[in-house]
Amino acid sequence: MAKAFNPGRRGITGFLEPAERDLLRKLFDDIITILEPSRPAHEDPLAALIGLDMDVAVPTDPALLRLLPDAVMGDADASLEFRQLTERSLRESKIGALRAATLDLDKDKLVLDAEAAGLWSRALNDVRLVLAQRLEIRDEGDAERVHQVQDWGEADDVESYLSLVYNFVSWLQESLVQAMLAGLKSSS
Amino acid sequence: MSVSTAPETDRDQSTHELSSPDIPWELIIWNDPVNLMSYVSYVFQSYFGYSEAKAAELMMQVHTEGKSAVAHGAKEKMEAHAVAMHGFGLWATVQKGGGRG
Repeated sequence: MAKAFNPGRRGITGFLEPAERDLLRKLFDDIITILEPSRPAHEDPLAALIGLDMDVAVPTDPALLRLLPDAVMGDADASLEFRQLTERSLRESKIGALRAATLDLDKDKLVLDAEAAGLWSRALNDVRLVLAQRLEIRDEGDAERVHQVQDWGEADDVESYLSLVYNFVSWLQESLVQAMLAGLKSSS
Repeated sequence: MSVSTAPETDRDQSTHELSSPDIPWELIIWNDPVNLMSYVSYVFQSYFGYSEAKAAELMMQVHTEGKSAVAHGAKEKMEAHAVAMHGFGLWATVQKGGGRG
């Protein structure tokens, strides 16, 4: 069984079983696949450099839309313009966090400094956002329904399996964030 | 937001809004049933530099009222905040400010 993340002098230490590392690798990889743009970066080197993407569209996959939401409420044109300027770099920054967390999974000991912990918390959060879309968690009641699934012996269909995975990743993120908050407290 | 641990909130703590009628844009954070309350509080503290008490108060406002205007200022600044919030996975939008969001 994984152990909760633990803050210490040398960083935040975690412990994951090999099967849990494999699961997280798979999840991080799935989210990277969702986030990778289908089209290559803009041919115009300057546009590519500043991350400008005039061909961008609102995602049709609700999970991707949750990762890359509209930024201007009630104004589709302004939201699209915002996407053209920011979406590619946002995708890259999310992919960067997921890749960094994946690399950490290859280390024997999982010890995260403040920067790595920040990247991990974002990677775990994006995994949860996508799983929540697949599990149709739309309100607190849905969240409670999923939270009730705790017994791996019950994992006899896709929904209960995804629920257990969601609860595991939630627990892991919560323990990481508590360790990060403890770090903020001791440094302030 | 998802409840994992009850945060300590001090509702009597006064907050100093970075608000001005001359700078009419604001950053709204919307409630969702996924983001952990602890994580939202962490983002408010680490990104905006808000105190633990102020971060907790804004986080509770998002949780109980469905949204909160967590920053006010120039449009470009609020847009930069929105991208950063999306990077963290929070659901954020910008809008022209009226009163408090």
